[in-house]
Order: sequence, then C-alpha cells, then structure tokens
Amino acid sequence: MAEHAIISVRGVDKVFNSGSDRAVTALQDIDLTIGRGEFISLLGPSGCGKSTLLRVMADLTGPTSGTVTVNGKTPGAARADRDYGMVFQQAGLFEWRNVLRNVELPLQVAGVKKEVHRAKALEMLELVRLSDFAGHYPWQLSGGMQQRVAIARALSADPEILFMDEPLGALDEMNRERLQGELLRIWGDTRTTVVFVTHSISEAVFLSSRVVVMSARPGRVAACIDVDLPHPRTAETRTTPEFFEKVKEVRQALHGAPSEQAAA
Amino acid sequence: MTATNISASPRPPAAREEQADPATLRGRGRGGALARRLVDPLGALLVVVVLAGLWEGYKALGRAVDDRILGIGLPVATDDLSMPHLWTIFGSLTAPARAGDPTSLAVYLIGETTVTLREALYGLTAGSLLGLALAVLFLHLAPVSRGLMPWLVASQTVPLVAIAPMIVIWGGKAGLQPWVAVTGIAAYLAFFPVTINSLRGLKSPPKVQLEFMRSVGAGRARVLWSLRFPAALPYVFAGLRLAATASVVGAIVGELSAGTGRGIGRAILTSAYYYSNGPEKLYAAVLVAAIAGILFVQVLSLLERFALRNRHAR
Amino acid sequence: MSTVPLSRPGRPALMSRALRLTPVAVTAVLLLGLWQSVVVLFDVPVFIMPSPVMIAEAFQQDFGTIMSASRSTVESVLLGLVLGSLGGVAVALVVSRFPRMSGPVLNTAVLVNCAPIVALAPIFNNWFGVTSMLSKAGVAAVMVFFPVFVNTTRGLLQIAPLHVEIMESLAARPRQVALLLRLPNALPFIFNALKLGTTLAVIGVIVSEYFGGSTEALGVYIAYQAALPRFDYAWAGILVSGALGLAMFGVVTLLERFLMPWHESLHEEES
Repeated sequence: MAEHAIISVRGVDKVFNSGSDRAVTALQDIDLTIGRGEFISLLGPSGCGKSTLLRVMADLTGPTSGTVTVNGKTPGAARADRDYGMVFQQAGLFEWRNVLRNVELPLQVAGVKKEVHRAKALEMLELVRLSDFAGHYPWQLSGGMQQRVAIARALSADPEILFMDEPLGALDEMNRERLQGELLRIWGDTRTTVVFVTHSISEAVFLSSRVVVMSARPGRVAACIDVDLPHPRTAETRTTPEFFEKVKEVRQALHGAPSEQAAA
Repeated sequence: MTATNISASPRPPAAREEQADPATLRGRGRGGALARRLVDPLGALLVVVVLAGLWEGYKALGRAVDDRILGIGLPVATDDLSMPHLWTIFGSLTAPARAGDPTSLAVYLIGETTVTLREALYGLTAGSLLGLALAVLFLHLAPVSRGLMPWLVASQTVPLVAIAPMIVIWGGKAGLQPWVAVTGIAAYLAFFPVTINSLRGLKSPPKVQLEFMRSVGAGRARVLWSLRFPAALPYVFAGLRLAATASVVGAIVGELSAGTGRGIGRAILTSAYYYSNGPEKLYAAVLVAAIAGILFVQVLSLLERFALRNRHAR
Repeated sequence: MSTVPLSRPGRPALMSRALRLTPVAVTAVLLLGLWQSVVVLFDVPVFIMPSPVMIAEAFQQDFGTIMSASRSTVESVLLGLVLGSLGGVAVALVVSRFPRMSGPVLNTAVLVNCAPIVALAPIFNNWFGVTSMLSKAGVAAVMVFFPVFVNTTRGLLQIAPLHVEIMESLAARPRQVALLLRLPNALPFIFNALKLGTTLAVIGVIVSEYFGGSTEALGVYIAYQAALPRFDYAWAGILVSGALGLAMFGVVTLLERFLMPWHESLHEEES
C-alpha cells in the first residue's frame, strides 16, 4: 500500500491553547496512511479530534508537531495546488451566486478560463444530478440539494482528494441514505480519494473501504477496520448479515475505546 | 419594498451577535472585554484628534498656498471667516454671548439646548408610545398591517421635514405654544423607527416558544406580556436609538420653522444670520448641538445597557 | 439558510402579486375617499387640511413653478446622494483594510451620526456659497455618508466564518476574497444604507433650503406658500416632495433587485 499512499500522517499532535492552563490536547501521536482511491471514514465520538485531523490534512490548521504529506507535498502546497476539494457540514453556498456559479467558484479562483469552467461546472451538476437547477439560487434548494451542490463545487476542479467534514450531518435520515448512495456512485465515477468524517457507525460502514475509529481525550486512532463489502452497495446492502456484522465490529471497537467511559 | 429595510442600518444586538466577524469572536475572552472598553474611548479620542488635525492642517495648508494648489482653488476657503481656528471657536464659548450681557456663550447655548432637548424628549416619548401601540396593533391585525404598512413606509420616504411649516401653522391656529408644535414634529419623526423595530421584535420569538406558550394555555395578552414584549426589548431599543436622533433633528427643524421661540435651532439660525460678525459663534452653536444630540442618544444607550444587562455578554 | 423548506415556488405568479397589492390599493382609495369626504362633510377649513381635489387643482395651477423648484432640489439631492455614497463606500473600503482600527472608527461614526447633521447647513452655506448647489448637496452628502460608511464596513467585515474557510480551502488570494466574497457580502448592507440615504438626502437638502439660498427650491416653495398662507399650494409642494422621495426609494429598490436577484428570498420571507 505504501507506494500508493496519497496521504500520510506521521506522529501528529495538535494542542490548542498550548502553553496556557487551558491547553487541550486534541490529537496525540496520530499515524495514518491513506491509499490512492480509498474511501476512508474517520469515526468517533464528539471531541475525538476527527474534524481537527481532517483540517490538519487540509491545511486549515497546522499540527503542533509531526509531519503530514498530501499528494507528495506539504498540506500547504497541496492546498495551493488545489489537490483537494472540501465539503463542510453546512453547504456554505454563496447566496449571491446561483447554483452553476457556485460550482464554478473553485475554477474561477484557480484562474481557469471562463469557457472551460462553464462546461466543467455543467458536467459536475450532471454528476450530482442537479442540471435542472443550474439557474436556481441556494435559498430555492432543500438542504440535501444544497449539500449536493457543495459536493459538485468541491469536485469541480478535479481534485485528487475529497475531504468531507460530516457533510450529511445536518440532513434527515431519508435524505442521508439517498445521498450516501449518490456519494458512492460519484466516488465510483471519479475514483477520487475520499476522507470522510462522521459520527454515524452505519454511515461509515456503508460508505467506506476502511473505517478509522478514533477515541477522545486525547484524540487517538483506536482501530482501523477494513470494510470489504462488495460494490455496488445498495439499499439491500444495509440489510445483509455481513453489513450488520461489520457494524457490530466497528461498534465494539468504538466502545472498547476508553474514551467512551470517560465521555459518559 | 419591505418595511424593515428602512430601519436596518443599526441592527439590534441580538441580530448583530449572529454573524460577528471571526476576528472579534476570537477576542471575546474576559481580558478582551476590558481591553475593548479601553480601546473604544481611546479610538474615539484618536479619531477626534485626527479630525482636528485635518481641520487645522487644511487651514494651514490653505493659508500657505493662498487657497490655490496648481492653479486650482481649494473647495473651501481657509481664511478666518470661513474656517476659524479651533481655539477661536472654543474661546468664544467663554466670551459673553452678546455685548452688554454677562452671560457667556456656553451658558447661553446650553440653555437653548436644554429647551431643544426637552422638546425632543417629549416628542420621543409621545412618538415611541405611539410607535409601540401601532406595532402591537399591526401584530394582531394582519390585514390592517398589510394595507397600511406600505403607506407607512412611503410616508417615511417623504421628507417629513417638509411638513414642518404646516405643523407649526396648525399649532399656531390652534392657539398652542410654539414648542408644542415642535414637539409634535419631533414625535412624528420618532414614531416610525420604533414601530418598525418593535414589530420586528414582537414577531421575533421562534415558533417553539410560541407553541410552548400555547401548550400551557396562555392567552393572547399573556403571550404578549410574557413572551413577545421581553423578546422585543432589544429591537425596541434599537428603534429608540434611531428615534432619539430623529427627534433631535425634528426639534431643530421644527424650531427653524417655528419663527419665534427658543432652542438651539433658533440659536444656530441667529448666529448664521450674524455670521460675519463672529463666525466662531456659529461653529460653537453647531458643536454644542452636535454634542447635545450625541449625549441624548448616549443616555438612552445607558438605559438600554441597564435594561438588557442580563441578555448577552456584550 | 439552514431551515429552507424542501421546495419553494420560483417567481410568484402574477396573480398572487396582484392579490398582494390589493390591500395596498384599497387602503389608498379608502384613505383618499375618507379624506375628501371628511373635508367636504365637516367643512374643514383649508388651513387644517385642504381636500385632495383642492390640492390637485393647486398643483395644476402652479405646475410650472413647482416643477422648476423641484428640479433644482432634485439635482442637489442626487448630487448629495452620489457624493455621500461614493465617499461612504470609499472610506469603508479603506477602513475595512484595517480590521483592528475599524471597531473604534465605526463606533465613532455611529456616535457622530447621532448628532443633528442638518445643523451643518449654515456652515456649508458660508463655505460653498448660499446660492451654490454644493452647499445643499454637501449637507445631504454628509447625512448619506454615515449610514453608507457604517453599513458598508460592517458588510465587508461580517463574513460567515464558513465562507472564509471555503475560500481558504480554495487557496484564494486576498484580492479574490475581497472581490468574490467581501464585496457581494456587503451589497445588501450597502443597499439598506442607500435606501435610508435617499430619505436622508431629501431631508438634508430641504432643510438646507430653509437656511437660505435660491428661492427656486422645493423647501423654500413649501415654506413660502405656507406662510402666505396658501395651504393647498403648500400641500401640493409637500406631496411632490413626497413623490420625489418615493421615486428615489423606488429606483434604489429596482437597482437592488437588478443587482441582487438572489435577494428575492428576503422579499418573500417578509411579506
């Protein structure tokens, strides 16, 4: 796997308010290697630092110590080269831009020619099946549709990596499951590497090729569990014994984590 | 054309808190509060000093180049008649207001200002009560509000000061003292921001709270008193702050139209009339009026801070 | 934004828009009718309230004078509005470059804005000349400046942290953040201030006209007719000034709809 690694995290610590009496260790000694084309979930209770880890990889915050390599470069260089796209818990669409122009934003920032980015954005809307809504403004869309636009936006510059920070957390169960299916289809179509933060066990199992279970206070990797459920995964997949078995395994790993008692 | 647009410039604190910029959010610690309390007056002082420097600097520059730069005349002449030195202006405050009268200009102006502020205060009180009453009415009578509101908004895009001469004449015909008419103008200018902001505030409680009140069997009056009024308070104060400024403007404009009577508006008009005899007196009068207007609103802000002391950590 | 219902209708149909305007029109007709009949029935003296018909007649008779008076007033108002809003936006752009300083500067501006700025009128008359348009427009400009400056600065600085992070994740340059995020974010703030500004500009100019200058001005016309006393004529002038304020407000609103089509959301919610 090592030669295919696209992200590697070595001995990363992250301490907030370091040096003061309110210092909080969010991440401690994290080692993680993510292979090209993987769908990785970072799973854990709130406060386990899974979002912080993602933000360290995305260079939205720096590690206190340790090294991170993204696509063979520092995270900062990867960000500058637009090697990754990012989806947040809230869609965060610019309300003054219509759907199409929201999707175009990364291309525009990257300085891509207008003719090119118009076509590319339309292609992305096709991918998330929102072509009919290109001219709509964000307020005219439901939460699920907004999140699909955010995914299209993140993918529009053809990034090699997609960082997703609880992107489906604000949706209801129905929408969530539908979007999970969409996400797998998009992943299959684009072969992008996905790093996906979630606190839902079933979501992590359904989506991922590997689940990274984290424990809290301080945030650590408690277990890495490969999920070898066959593709394409559909609604039926959720009812198979293999799926339940995996969910159980992940749940045990999560509960085995000392954080659970501490957090309770 | 929505009504709220008119009042939106100073947002109620509740709304302002929602999307503060990250820089201020970060500085929201305990130590930050104290630092900010010091920074504000210091910053204001700095701004005042800069403005004073600009005034004297511009004047000095104009004097040095004889009001012409590269052959182009400066927009404002800098001779002592157009721009008296700041110290001349402040000096005039201690000088007698009139020849043969021992009262200093400062005392005279402050006396006139209290007349104006009293008119403004009465107007503000009357206007706010009217504004609140209208808000409650609009809240409960949706059809009335839908029909009347756009016209109320329209009435505010009308320069109300244009009606000032009429109101003064009405007052005169009705045999009222001039100050009553002036108060009326102040009230007329003051009521609108209170109506708009109060209405928005009365509508501000989220559905959950309204449904909770209904679930405990609270009637309309109880909902109004126990939920809507307290929820509206920050909005009402935001409206009152706007109204306070408007009422001072209304009082001054009213005095201009009133012909006779007292007040700082009159004093400004008089000193403008005798400008060439002492330009600094006009500046002094305008300065006093400005400071009085600011203090008037600040008193209200203090009241607001006291009334809302338990709401947000500000 | 997080609680948008599943699907919203697009543009409201013409029918529903017409329905919404009905109460407004009905109120207008009712008010006018009430006004006319009260004046006629109770024989209200002219100095209290002339009837709408009388005002209309006065307007017709003095049409030429009122129009030429309005013209100079409108010109001053527009000049003041343009100067004030350009100045406000320009200073806001500078101040927002220094977020640290912007707090105190904003607070001071809010404070100064509590002062009755119309009191500057006689000073400006002396600076720019009583008959100069600039002396009237100047007062309007100062009155417009403050809300535009304060609002624009707030709009440029109050950005959703999430939006900042998105731009950061896209490795956007500061210039791009300013152009693609801060400026559009400030637009609604600017328009709110402009709407306030149109009213303020008209007030500023009319009050300055009371302080002297050319007699060919709407403010002077109103005061003069009221003093004569020819109240129906004064009221005709007042109504024209009202229409003027309303028209400018309308133009700004149209401009807003044109420049910010996404803001229909707000219009919908508040109706």
